[in-house]
Amino acid sequence: MSRYLVNIWETVSTLIIGLGVTFKHMLHIRRGYVTLQYPEEKWPRPERKIGFDHNDYNVIRSRLHVDIDDCIGCMKCARACPVGCIHITTVKVPKGVDLGTTSNDTKKRLLVTRFDIDMSECMYCNLCTYPCPESCIYMTGGPNSGKHPIDYEFSEYDRSNLIYRFANISPEEVERITTPPAKPETEGVKA
Amino acid sequence: MVLNIGPQHPSTHGVLRLKVKTDGEIVSEITPIIGYLHRCFEKHCENLSYEQVIPYTDRCDYIASMNNNFGYVVAVEEMMGIEVPERVEFIRVIMAELNRIASHLLALGTYGLDIGAFTPFLYMFRDRERILDLLEMTCGARLLYNYMWVGGLSHDLPVGFVEAAYDFLDYFEPKVKEYNDLLTYNKIFIERTADIGVMPAEVAINYGVTGPNLRGSGVAWDLRKAEPYSVYDRFEFNIPVGQGIVGTVGDCWDRYWVRVQEMLESVKIVRQALQQMPSEGDVHAALPKKVRPPKGSIYKRTESPRGDLGYYIISTGKPVPYRVKMRSPAFTALSVLDEIARGWMISDVLAILGSLDIVLGEIDR
Amino acid sequence: MFENLPYPDLILWLLLAGLLLFGLMAVNALAAVYAERKISAFMQDRLGPMGQGAGFHAGKWGLLQTVADALKLILKEDIIPRAADRRLFIIAPYIIFIGAFIAISALPFSEYIQVIDINLGIFYLLAVCSLGVVGLITAGWASDNKWSLYGALRSAAQIVSYEIPAALSIIVVVMLTGTLDLQGIIRAQEGLIWGILPNWIIFNNPFTFLAFFIYFISGVAETNRTPFDIPEAESELVAGFHTEYSGMRWAFFFLSEYANMFIVCGIATVAFLGGWQSPVPGFLDSGGWGLFWFFAKLLSLIFVMIWFRWTFPRLRVDQLMGVAWKVLLPLALLNIFGVGLWSLYIG
Repeated sequence: MSRYLVNIWETVSTLIIGLGVTFKHMLHIRRGYVTLQYPEEKWPRPERKIGFDHNDYNVIRSRLHVDIDDCIGCMKCARACPVGCIHITTVKVPKGVDLGTTSNDTKKRLLVTRFDIDMSECMYCNLCTYPCPESCIYMTGGPNSGKHPIDYEFSEYDRSNLIYRFANISPEEVERITTPPAKPETEGVKA
Repeated sequence: MVLNIGPQHPSTHGVLRLKVKTDGEIVSEITPIIGYLHRCFEKHCENLSYEQVIPYTDRCDYIASMNNNFGYVVAVEEMMGIEVPERVEFIRVIMAELNRIASHLLALGTYGLDIGAFTPFLYMFRDRERILDLLEMTCGARLLYNYMWVGGLSHDLPVGFVEAAYDFLDYFEPKVKEYNDLLTYNKIFIERTADIGVMPAEVAINYGVTGPNLRGSGVAWDLRKAEPYSVYDRFEFNIPVGQGIVGTVGDCWDRYWVRVQEMLESVKIVRQALQQMPSEGDVHAALPKKVRPPKGSIYKRTESPRGDLGYYIISTGKPVPYRVKMRSPAFTALSVLDEIARGWMISDVLAILGSLDIVLGEIDR
Repeated sequence: MFENLPYPDLILWLLLAGLLLFGLMAVNALAAVYAERKISAFMQDRLGPMGQGAGFHAGKWGLLQTVADALKLILKEDIIPRAADRRLFIIAPYIIFIGAFIAISALPFSEYIQVIDINLGIFYLLAVCSLGVVGLITAGWASDNKWSLYGALRSAAQIVSYEIPAALSIIVVVMLTGTLDLQGIIRAQEGLIWGILPNWIIFNNPFTFLAFFIYFISGVAETNRTPFDIPEAESELVAGFHTEYSGMRWAFFFLSEYANMFIVCGIATVAFLGGWQSPVPGFLDSGGWGLFWFFAKLLSLIFVMIWFRWTFPRLRVDQLMGVAWKVLLPLALLNIFGVGLWSLYIG
């Protein structure tokens, strides 16, 4: 019998303690709420510089971005990618054609005709960004969107829009660059 | 009556299917059917380089990715004989323990949800969110980190992390009392969990159950103490074991309670690690040029929030592992379900399942 | 009120009253759902429905959220599973709804506002309240779904068991007031007791105080709300008896659930908290204020129900029956005995 009464008492007292907890939370909602009213309010963007030194490494996992002008077509990122979502095609250029240099003063030897990243396949592991000798692939804003507002919102209605094409060179231009300068005598031999 | 719980069911914690034979409400046989989340982790590993496996380990136990990374890199490092810098070890421990707290918070919250209490779940998620913020600050990702690398870390701690971590710990400790008031010592909760699904120590050991589930049965087995890896031998912490405070040793409540206590122990470890951590040190110092372990094999286990997480790796000296086998603690925990949940009611089966804290990502891999 | 009206007028009156009651039920459900959302959110450190964006949004503080929900439910596709017993499946929500509807019609909202004043009022309410269980069983059976069946059987057991302590607690009230008429019960609670407290039955003596809680707990159980929500326990039975329902039919279940809350709290208000009586005699107790007091008491009881739901875990089905038969029933019987002795020797 006493066990019975103690049981009832324990039930009532612990339940009242629980009710107290929720009631306190309800009263203190003004200073305690954690809701982020999403479209109006946004998550504070991490206040960190975007750079490749360790003290200011960009630790944002977002869209991959490639500074295509700095890319030398070494394919290291494509090999590092565990899911293989980076597709690069390079074309050898004939001797004498100068592709310029990257911002690190490395001479570009290959013409990158295709640099596609399928962000729908990407698993955001960040492994592609480390081996890049030119630091030209990194995770931040969208494709070719200036110097990169960090955003997390890149959903698309069509999956094909998630394939980011970074190589901005047209086929005609590729044709023009890769065609060796016409030499009249060889033409004559062929004929 | 044969009842089909899952694969779409609110409380199967993932895509698990339980074929349950019932007599009215009483359950006479449970057959877990797994494989709905199979993603060929082990087969993938045979085709990926050692570094590329790490993001896949993230996705096994997605609730505690840091711990999965940890186990894998420790195993590969031991194969290659790499000594990692001290700072790296401490950062790894901090991350792993923070992630353990996050994982336990999720386990306890969803357990409350299984029992029918909605509010503790959201309180715990609120606090878990702060841990995820810390981890996001560190490595940019909130859930799947790929932070620990073979021989080091992907990058150092960010500026201001230590203060933020202390802030969190100070904030978190009093919150545990709130959970206790709201859920742990709630009489209805006790009624639902005490004496339910008792797992005696022998049964637990026979089935190979590890982690908080084993400790809930009263066996003080924790790899952090028993086979200290990394720098765990430098910290003072206790191994909480189930004592049957409100019921029998090894019941659902004990498993729950062990997790609550473990969060507090983890807080202790993180505090000590933050104090002892060398403030300088290059986290990339010991990164090998090429991860190519010598020919041979290794089985290394670490203590993940769900128990002994083992990696068996065979190397043929190539940059790609010949075989990576993962010993999943959640898998063994699920296998014991039939044994301990027979004869209980449907509601109890779900309570027992919740108390085992399984993650289907790890079971199916 | 209108028993003496000529026939066509009577029909008109009944139609009008019915429409008003239906409106009340709908508004009650809308308001209660909104309150439930907001209160639960506040208890959980959230904000709940908030609409402030451009375009279609849910109004300030999400006030239009439930309206939008209702609209969505009306527009939703009506799905009847092929294996279901079609006729029973269709009829089940209406049975529950009718149970709630005819109960609500007997509630005295104020001294003057009451649709039907039956001299057996409280007896009628208790009887009609348990009509809903027929609908629940029908729904569970007709769905041809094992979860629904479990939910239905659980709810049948639960509601039938909790009827008993609830009725026994109400008997205490009838003993003290000596009438089954709702207005009569309320009138008996006029004035003050012991100089300070209003002469409500709950304050009459310690036994009635207990009886109120027994009734209220049983009421929570009868309305299938946490911690007694095992018929629809979402983590066990998916959604219990209404697993297979969608759209407007589901909305009827929903409407009835909130209407049942309203009724249970209404009965508690009438029987124990003095109905439309003002807490301080002579203070704001003229005609219109009766409505205010009635709703104030009723809504605060509904708040407590919501508060329960967002704090407590759920009981197991056998524990639930245990609470009814081992705790509430003996206490309720003890109460009857105690009140009898009290009114003989003390009161």
